[in-house]
Amino acid sequence: MEKDYIAPVGEGLYIARTGDWRTRRPQLDQASCRRCGICLMYCPVNSIVRSEAGEYSIDYEFCKGCGICSVECPAKSISMHAAVRA
Amino acid sequence: MTLIDKLANREDLISPGISACVGCNVELTLRTVLKILGPNTVLAVPPGCMGGVGVVGWDKKAGAKIPVFFPLLDNVASMLAGIRLGFNARGRDAHVVAFAGDGATVDAGFQALSGAAERGDRILYICYDNEGYMNTGYQRSSSTSKGSWTSTTPVSREGKGGKAQHRKDFPLIMALHDLPYVATASPAFIPDLVRKVERAMEVRDGLAYIHIYNPCPTGWSFKAEDSIAISRLSVKSRFFPLWESRGRKLTITVREQRPVPVADYVAKIGKFRHLGPEGIAELQALTDERYRYLEAMEKSGAGGDGTGA
Repeated sequence: MEKDYIAPVGEGLYIARTGDWRTRRPQLDQASCRRCGICLMYCPVNSIVRSEAGEYSIDYEFCKGCGICSVECPAKSISMHAAVRA
Repeated sequence: MTLIDKLANREDLISPGISACVGCNVELTLRTVLKILGPNTVLAVPPGCMGGVGVVGWDKKAGAKIPVFFPLLDNVASMLAGIRLGFNARGRDAHVVAFAGDGATVDAGFQALSGAAERGDRILYICYDNEGYMNTGYQRSSSTSKGSWTSTTPVSREGKGGKAQHRKDFPLIMALHDLPYVATASPAFIPDLVRKVERAMEVRDGLAYIHIYNPCPTGWSFKAEDSIAISRLSVKSRFFPLWESRGRKLTITVREQRPVPVADYVAKIGKFRHLGPEGIAELQALTDERYRYLEAMEKSGAGGDGTGA
């Protein structure tokens, strides 16, 4: 044994690059957004960011493209589009 | 501070990238619960989806920013009881929390959990119930609903088969341990879920138990984007009612005065696709019967908290 671990608290954080999974990309329309935060409340990956000014945006780094935000948005401000690889 | 403020500002204590399925509402539940619990938390995640997707970690790396342990499937509550005693001996306080699936809770871990409940060990036990062993390809559990297709309760070409028994009413079984706090919750009702976690965190005199009902897009076969909408229907149809109890004082927290038919709920779920009108009527009858029982408990429990006081 190189090291004795008493618990799997580890040597750092395990991070899967889940943004690579995305086949559909959500797009948030700022003009119709009501700033209610429902997308933030329901995003499973915590990919919705709120700025100090209270504006919402989507962080695509880990977004899996599930589309929950587009279904739940009461203003229908989030649309899903075929993801294009950069 | 509003709920959205809380969710927007508090640190996400789970790794930003865990390999839960696309549209997994257990991932949402876990991140939300831990934002509320905060960093002074020790977490136990037994084998199950959340263990498998990397919340415990892989290869010396952790999946959470707090201490996270990987107990066996059947000893989650016992291990946490020991952690609590260790903390007590060192004069430390922290939230000692289990985040376990229905297999580790309702099936394999029941003996250890029931024991910890009866002893009054101060732990917060959260069960995410997706009705089966999803992590290994959806084998049935004792929390799987009647009629469900699973890989161990197959359905014939003629549409016969599926699980023959209805699910254990497990949160009620826990409530009848006369616990200081028991609640059911849903990822579609986040304000209700957050309030219940906050109440469970305040418990000092025993085990607090929260049972969260998480419809699974992969195992149950429905679209990822409908993950929350279907969770919402499970409550709106009274298939999985939301309530909380202290001792024998039970209160229904989300009342659906005009519930949607169970047929509308099961219609959207692939694992119930083979059910005909009879099978659906049976699920409706079971749902109504359990809800009536819950209402009767709510009415009768007003007089006592189960301690005889």
